[in-house]
Amino acid sequence: MRALRGAVGDPDGRPPWPARLTAVYPPRWRQRYGGELDQLVSDLAGGGRRPLAMAVDLLRGAAVAWITERGTPMTERTRSALITVLWSWVAFAATAAWFGHDLAVYPTARVAAQLVIVNQIVPDSYRALMAAGALGVAATAVAAVVFAVDAARSARRQRRPGPFILMAAPIVIAACWVGGLALLPQANGTPAGLAISVGWLLLGLAGLAAATQAVVKVVRSTEFTPLTWRIGGAAATIVTAVMVIVTCATIAWGVAEQTSTPHPGDASNWLVVTAIMAVTSVRAALALAGTRRAAAAPAASPAAA
Amino acid sequence: MDLTEPAVLVLTSLADGPKHGYALAKDIEAFSGAKLGPGTLYGALSRLEERGWIEALPADDRRRPYQITSAGAESLAIHLETARKVTATGLRRLEVRPVA
Repeated sequence: MRALRGAVGDPDGRPPWPARLTAVYPPRWRQRYGGELDQLVSDLAGGGRRPLAMAVDLLRGAAVAWITERGTPMTERTRSALITVLWSWVAFAATAAWFGHDLAVYPTARVAAQLVIVNQIVPDSYRALMAAGALGVAATAVAAVVFAVDAARSARRQRRPGPFILMAAPIVIAACWVGGLALLPQANGTPAGLAISVGWLLLGLAGLAAATQAVVKVVRSTEFTPLTWRIGGAAATIVTAVMVIVTCATIAWGVAEQTSTPHPGDASNWLVVTAIMAVTSVRAALALAGTRRAAAAPAASPAAA
Repeated sequence: MDLTEPAVLVLTSLADGPKHGYALAKDIEAFSGAKLGPGTLYGALSRLEERGWIEALPADDRRRPYQITSAGAESLAIHLETARKVTATGLRRLEVRPVA
């Protein structure tokens, strides 16, 4: 029988390739069982087990390990950290949306294509920004659905109508603001038109804050399942990474634009927006880092004998 | 706690004495015909250890043997007694009403 590459008895002494899949197990699980699992994969491969079947089994085992992993203990500190990330993400997204809409120049592929002649960094930054933004929105949507379902179950079990009202608040607020926007008279450059536009924008910001506070209240008052918290933690990690990527892409775009065109425009808006993005990104990253440090402390304990 | 099939197989194998992962896999295959994959086997081991139904012994290189605890033996006995009753009832009913 042809010797399988990486099988036990491999002349190079390397473990069989499915053993590399132990890397996808949770860190604490790997710390406890990783070495034994590697050895078992080697022993089974030497006994004739098919590597592909073992690989599928390892991936399934890793998925179960992640789902059942106790994970970060849900303390007030970790709950507060997730809420901090939520507020940072909302502020970040609002700033990015305003920046893109207000300037009406940077975030369009047409303009990016025009500027590619000047500097390739611009369209590259645009693509990175859009891709990261889409990922952040997707992660937020998934987490929102999971938290909403869990909160609804908990509220129904405890016969509490409050969470249902709080969860409906963001949808009602958004619908009212967007609906009102459509009814507003077009801003025609007059002082009255400008005042109405600014006023409606400020009302929107207030509504956004109120909607976020409603969500925070649900998060603080509901006992979610460990799986829900894990999904929330994963989403928080993703949106924090997105914030960092988008901030870097915005900086790169602005610097390229300012240094590559003969008559760059006023960069004050870009500077303000970049500063807000940077502050919110750092705030979210620090909050997450605090939870990782708290979780790492118990994991450093000696494994069971 | 309901025992999963891999957990029952692992406890049954350990009822015969301590074993490490590969010895468990071979023993289980020998008495049941089931080929447990490494992820499935160690998933069962980790859950059983968490519940205190098995305990780890000092490792020999990277092969660590496990042994069943008294709590694990008791849980296995209860499960197998229930399974025995179900098996006996099912077989008796099949004799009375043979499958076509």
